[in-house]
Amino acid sequence: MNPSHHHHDCHCCISRRDCLKFLSMSALGAGVVGPALSAVAKEKSKYANPDYVDVGKLLPCPEVRMAAAIFEKPRPYWLGWPGTTYDLDARQKEYKAKLADSSRRLGIKTDLAPNPINDEAGVGAFIEKIKAEKPHGVLVILQSIFCWPWLARVTKETGVPLIVFAPIGVAFTGHVGRISRQPGVYVASTLEWSAAEDGMRMLRAKRMFEETRVLWIRGKERNETVLDRIGTKVRAIPRDTFNLAFDKVPATVEVRDVASDMRRHAKRVVEPNSQDCINSARALITAKRLMADEKANALSMDCLGMVSAKLVPTPPCFAWTILQDHGITAGCEADLYGAMSLMLTSYLLNRPGYMNDPVPETAKNLLIASHCTSGTRLRGFDKPPVPYILRNHSESALGVSTQVLWPPGEKVTLVRFNNKPGEIIVDTGTVVSNVNTPPAGGCRTSVEIKMDKVEDCRDVLGFHQVVTFGDHKRIVEAFCQLYDIKPLRSPERAPEPEVKKT
Amino acid sequence: MAAAEPVQFTSPGFPSSQMDAVGQLVEDWGAIGVKLSGEGVTEATPAVAAVKLDGVVPAAQAVSRHGAVALTLTAFRSPAFPAGVDVLTVRVEEKQGRAANVTVALDLPAKAHAGLRTVRLGGRAVLTLPPREESGEKARDWGHCDEASSLRGWAKPAGPCDPAFRNIRAGMGGAPILYRFAVRPKSEANVVLGFCESHWAEAGQRRLLCRVEGAPSQEVDPIAKWGRHKPGALLFKARDEDGDGRISVTVLAATDAKDKNPILNVIWIFPAGPPPNLNQVIAGKLNTVATRRVEVGGENDQPLYPGGKLEYRLSLAARGSQELTFLAACHGSVAPIPDASAWTAETLRRAAREVWRDWQER
Repeated sequence: MNPSHHHHDCHCCISRRDCLKFLSMSALGAGVVGPALSAVAKEKSKYANPDYVDVGKLLPCPEVRMAAAIFEKPRPYWLGWPGTTYDLDARQKEYKAKLADSSRRLGIKTDLAPNPINDEAGVGAFIEKIKAEKPHGVLVILQSIFCWPWLARVTKETGVPLIVFAPIGVAFTGHVGRISRQPGVYVASTLEWSAAEDGMRMLRAKRMFEETRVLWIRGKERNETVLDRIGTKVRAIPRDTFNLAFDKVPATVEVRDVASDMRRHAKRVVEPNSQDCINSARALITAKRLMADEKANALSMDCLGMVSAKLVPTPPCFAWTILQDHGITAGCEADLYGAMSLMLTSYLLNRPGYMNDPVPETAKNLLIASHCTSGTRLRGFDKPPVPYILRNHSESALGVSTQVLWPPGEKVTLVRFNNKPGEIIVDTGTVVSNVNTPPAGGCRTSVEIKMDKVEDCRDVLGFHQVVTFGDHKRIVEAFCQLYDIKPLRSPERAPEPEVKKT
Repeated sequence: MAAAEPVQFTSPGFPSSQMDAVGQLVEDWGAIGVKLSGEGVTEATPAVAAVKLDGVVPAAQAVSRHGAVALTLTAFRSPAFPAGVDVLTVRVEEKQGRAANVTVALDLPAKAHAGLRTVRLGGRAVLTLPPREESGEKARDWGHCDEASSLRGWAKPAGPCDPAFRNIRAGMGGAPILYRFAVRPKSEANVVLGFCESHWAEAGQRRLLCRVEGAPSQEVDPIAKWGRHKPGALLFKARDEDGDGRISVTVLAATDAKDKNPILNVIWIFPAGPPPNLNQVIAGKLNTVATRRVEVGGENDQPLYPGGKLEYRLSLAARGSQELTFLAACHGSVAPIPDASAWTAETLRRAAREVWRDWQER
């Protein structure tokens, strides 16, 4: 079965259940936005509609194959780290169990070499196996400080992304320094198995990128291309496909349920009336059906152009909030790399991102991230949502958009594919407050951020950066290194002021 | 297999390219032809036909027998974002059971300029080449191997300095400047790069990233560091790190550079050991000590590969075969630049397969 088709009618993928658990927990737990769709999923028969699309099934569920091995030196150990007192059997049993558990939870098919590899011949055979079977990644658990040269062989001779788990006791800085900064390699030198699991999550995220087809709804063209390096398919479809499809979506039971939940779970409803919410729910159903029809897993639309041309009664802002909360990338303004950046937080960090316009607040030297849609499950798809207020779209006064209230004091990470797949901007900061409209103009969700290591807020790189909860700089940079993507950061120091010429 | 009919191919939603009746790949910028020569190699007319790769990808194929060897040209469109790229595979197979040396020559439009990995036409990268090092083509001891332009007399160095500062090579359109110098494998050297910025008056415009093999990279803003028309120099402790007997020197625009066109004025190579005094280097007083001094873009500059036809020399084992893959710009696209792209023949083919597999005309 073709992995990219899984979301439509898959019943055979052994990791399907885990895949959905991992990626769409919002549909399984209690929350603000989720229950409507959760209820929809459970009560599909209630709608009796052959066109019904379960949002959870839109997610890509790729096959991820990983080769794994334990590298050790011939026993018994005598001097040299990890030392004679190190209980090899106990540690290996522990790490094998953790590897099996991580593989199961992440839906990764791991092929662990049956016995530890302890000589050059064994390494050679392992390398030949990798070359023949071409797994998506390799994970090596190191059990001796003398095995590091073998890792260099593995990465050089196979070219397959390499994850190294080096528990404390098998490395000095000199062993780790160089290889841990090499493209195609991720080294976790720690006792924390979760760091190794982060590497496995990177493999999975890359495969999800590869199995994703993003609908690029803009202009009049219909074609399909593939992004360099990350492998995501980009299907361009004419913009009016959306509004023509929207016009055909009636106010079904599903639509009314979504609209009702939208209002019920809001902290406040300011401008939108019931019909606005019905229309917003129709936008969600339209988007789901379009993705299903086009075998797509994500979308980015020229929404502002459609609103400008008055082709729809509401921008899709709230529909996008719901999709984002389910891990489905829904990007604004047909900004393809903005959508890819949203996808990064969803697939790698397991939480929605918030694509925004960057605004400098020069009196307080803060960055304001401002747009009319944001996910609400900021802490993770399986975590409770944060409060939101239903507003209209500020630029047009139409329909429904979301003011999501980001909790002050929380760390955030800003990521952005720098208008090409080979570069990602990564910065971090802390939420200071939410800006209300009015008195401010601009977009409804508006979050003040104190940037880390950026002297002047005017110098933050990028536009339509994606803000996501937590400090994930190291994992994003590690992902970049594993897949030879250049990480960039905003300048730490402000430029010298220009001097007026005399 | 039917002969003498051109075959069109494309990817979903894009204009077609074509392989003509004599097996040339025809693009909006010109045609690419492939010719074979060598002992036992004869002239032949190909049979051109439409084929499907992997059962789904439309392609054109030209097959011909040239005495001792068979030639198969296969072209398909890979849907590389944003407008695709045409992949031309040249497969040469020995057929008579004797090892053979065969030269594959590319016929390109007269004004095409071949660099190390790309061919440009009027500033547009139109063809990505297989690595020239593997071509069997003999390289000089040193030279540039990039798509930059030589501009003599561009700089106006103020004050006494080596006259080589007057000239530059400039990577118009963001092309990196790349030189290679033959050295003893794994050996070390002191490499000095000389700069003189004469266009910009303010700092923050043309920031340069300089990479010399074996040494840490250095970023420099010539105006901020030295000023307009002021010659300056950077020292690198170089080493032939990969042991290929060459030290590479690359100058490119820094990521945050507003002016993306890198420049370079002079290169000096000094023996390893104590670093040369940079003021004396700039003044040209250590030229006789240097093992190599290059007036970049000036009179004694040269390309790494001599001009002439673009040729690849293949050594075929008996019944053996070899393949070369070229990536051609198609309508509305440019050829991938190897330094900036991760595309490979394998990933381009997979992209085509996956896109055609799920495509439905509407």
